Amino acid sequence: MSAPLLEARDLVKKFPGVIALKGVNFALAAGEVHALCGENGAGKSTLIKLLGGIYPHGSYEGELRVDGKVAAFHGIRDAEHAGIAVITQEFALVDELSVAENIFLGRAPRRGLRVDWLEMQTRAAALLKDFGLDLPPETPVRQLGIGQKQLVEIVRAMDKKSRVLVLDEPTAALTEQEVEVLLGHLRRLRSQGTTCIYISHKLDEVFAIADRITVLRDGASIVTLTTKEATIPIVIRHMVGREITDLFPKKVGWSALTPTRLDAATAEQRVGVNALHPQPILSVRGLNVAPAKGKPAFLRDLSFDLRPGEVLGFGGLMGAGRTELLMHLFGAWGHRLGGEVTLRGLPYARPTPGESIRRGLVLASEDRRRYGLILGQEIGFNLSLSSLRAFTRVGGRLDLPAEEVENQKFFSSLRVKAPGQHTRAGTLSGGNQQKVVLGKALMTGPTVVMLDEPTRGIDVGAKLEVYELINALTAEGKAVILVSSELPELMGMSDRVIMLHEGAVGGEFARAEFAQEKLLAAAMGHAHAA
Amino acid sequence: MKNRAALLKTLSMPLALAGICAFFAVKEPAFLGPRNLSQLMVEFSITGTLALGMFMILLTGQIDLSVGSGVGLIGGTAAVLVTKQGWGAPAALAAGLGVALALWALMGTLIVKQRIPSFIITLGGLLVFKGVFWKVIENSTIPVMGVDENLYSRITTYYLPANAGFVLAGVVVALLVLLEWLDRSARAARGLPVPSAARAFGLLALVAAGIFVGVDRFNRFHGLPVTFLILSATAAAVYILTRHTPFGRYLYAIGGNEEAAVLSGINVDRVLIGAYVLMGATVAVTGFMQTAYQGSSSTTVGDLMELDAIAACVIGGTALKGGRGTVWGVLFGALIMASLLNGMTLMAVQPEMKFIARGTVLALAVWLDVRLGRT
Repeated sequence: MSAPLLEARDLVKKFPGVIALKGVNFALAAGEVHALCGENGAGKSTLIKLLGGIYPHGSYEGELRVDGKVAAFHGIRDAEHAGIAVITQEFALVDELSVAENIFLGRAPRRGLRVDWLEMQTRAAALLKDFGLDLPPETPVRQLGIGQKQLVEIVRAMDKKSRVLVLDEPTAALTEQEVEVLLGHLRRLRSQGTTCIYISHKLDEVFAIADRITVLRDGASIVTLTTKEATIPIVIRHMVGREITDLFPKKVGWSALTPTRLDAATAEQRVGVNALHPQPILSVRGLNVAPAKGKPAFLRDLSFDLRPGEVLGFGGLMGAGRTELLMHLFGAWGHRLGGEVTLRGLPYARPTPGESIRRGLVLASEDRRRYGLILGQEIGFNLSLSSLRAFTRVGGRLDLPAEEVENQKFFSSLRVKAPGQHTRAGTLSGGNQQKVVLGKALMTGPTVVMLDEPTRGIDVGAKLEVYELINALTAEGKAVILVSSELPELMGMSDRVIMLHEGAVGGEFARAEFAQEKLLAAAMGHAHAA
Repeated sequence: MKNRAALLKTLSMPLALAGICAFFAVKEPAFLGPRNLSQLMVEFSITGTLALGMFMILLTGQIDLSVGSGVGLIGGTAAVLVTKQGWGAPAALAAGLGVALALWALMGTLIVKQRIPSFIITLGGLLVFKGVFWKVIENSTIPVMGVDENLYSRITTYYLPANAGFVLAGVVVALLVLLEWLDRSARAARGLPVPSAARAFGLLALVAAGIFVGVDRFNRFHGLPVTFLILSATAAAVYILTRHTPFGRYLYAIGGNEEAAVLSGINVDRVLIGAYVLMGATVAVTGFMQTAYQGSSSTTVGDLMELDAIAACVIGGTALKGGRGTVWGVLFGALIMASLLNGMTLMAVQPEMKFIARGTVLALAVWLDVRLGRT
């Protein structure tokens, strides 16, 4: 049997205070799609950075072999020469350049000394068309949504004709159609001989595409299974080291008897919510919002109510206006053309983030690196950033010990995996960063919590913790607005779902009416077709 | 290996300062004499005060190029009010401060509300203030002293008597001990880990010894200079602002990630304008000190001081893109810049060489900072 295309032997990678990898072994056979699964902080991102040459040879222990020979990558270029292309969760695109320029970044077709723009445009247009992307190649990348950016990155990597394509959460921001397109292309590439390492938290996707799965847990490789012999529950059991019986532990209703903060387990007795609280906590009537003054309305005629103890889900395709709606209610986006918003019985005409937080309306953004965290600062700094008012004493002085105690409380109860609250936020894995973002929002003591894609890019175990957090919030009588691209999650956790279609309500559904096809039809503007 | 790099990192600035001082002490023994040390401390106070204002601007990721011209303008305005208009010194200084606060509030507002980059607005300020400055003093030399010594001129000529210096040192040390003790008991009361007492109070003993030795050195000349007290008070105020108030947190947050700061509910506009107003205050105080130190206002007062202030911050580890830096670092950086200038002046180095040396040291410091990976 020939040597594996890529092989990791006993990889160990240490950081100050943390051992990220403590013995990873896996072998990549030529022509297979090999999935890596594991919880946040299991070591997936570290492993990829090692494969991609970002952590150079010598900074880790153990061996990396390509075609049976020990590989010593000293940088990304070495890895690319060996035919390994890594596409990470963070975009490596230049916002100010066009799609075509980004695809051919650093390897533009030339005519003499000049860039052959025509050739570049033509080839880019062909590639995009081939990929099924309806996107003019001259579009500036800055204008693209998060999902489209990801697709452009994948197009670029595919065009580099790499032997090993490493995809880190490629579908985290894609709609279901886009995912299907991507998987289709991966299958085509596999049949043409490309090998692929595929990292995703979406296990159904993993089973749809992968030949084999290696599970990582706490920095070690646990097991490698073929998808034929494995099932989703088996993989999950290996990932978390315990059985998870209920993927969406939704608890309906609200009880005044259980005012515990973050502990859902004690919230057993529930009462029907709407009977107790006929008054909405947030009420929106005829809301019309433009991206900026003088522009036409993007959010159109939105009306809905949100009651205490309720989870209201917002779904829709990419660009339907879900994020914009949350950002506008919070006071961070758009110019209101008309409509009324009432928050806890008071009109709320001119929202700003500061005023929203004071009134008990918080937002945890989908783009946590951009909007959520000060990555260069400590976890504690981030946790309390929106709540400093509570620690300010006479003369404007901060009560630092009181702040540290509160930070520690959230740090522990959210189970952030880090040496301590003084660890820098930028060093955390995606799921742990998400926990810090949530902690920051919750520390303000909100009554309405808006969660934009709270489980994007995080693993099953951490997802479960987010769901339990939602349960704990509603158990306290708080209201939650949940935006998610994953229909099962939306249906699993919401009491009611509104599907947005091009900035307007495409359909509204009570829990009893939930059905994937109906919701999807509403998102596509065919509310009555299904 | 990791620890060695960290050690080198923390020691790099003290080592650089020691190296510079040793060099000048060998070349020109008068450098460490009581007279020159006292003078050096006055110059350090002037550079340091301005750098502390700049520090808060840089923390947010903004910049201010207008402060050098501002120093000249504000100092000159007060001098003209005293000498030509016959105002009392306190009123003239108050008026100067008021003008500075208004000007910097205006610049801050333009930067924030009209979204004009601070680089451009303050570059405009640099030129406009310089022009207005020269008009105010009518391109002449305006002494800060009318007939007699006044509050303005005393800023750099008054020294605290020896005993008063020691009493003040005692009060400061007692205050530091009290604060440390209060902090420790507050942490203990909340069940937080308390750093080892031996270490904390050992460090305090060292600081106390340093303060008393310092006062003693000052006393061998004329005593504690007022400018040094101004710098100490400014440093304490900026330290408290940046470390112990929400405003300070917000400075770091805005510099670290402005979009996230906005979504965290921070009124970014107000914080930025606040930072510029504070910058205006330090410009005024520095303007009074620098003009008084020269004895009169003339067209060159304040020249290039914006660059010394920025250099002091950057040498002290403040990130130009914001979000990182400490008051201690800035003070160290200012001391390095001041020592360099003072030593070269003492050695009668040609002005052209002084420029080259200052620029080289700045570039070197930043290069070292990057090499040692202080991120």
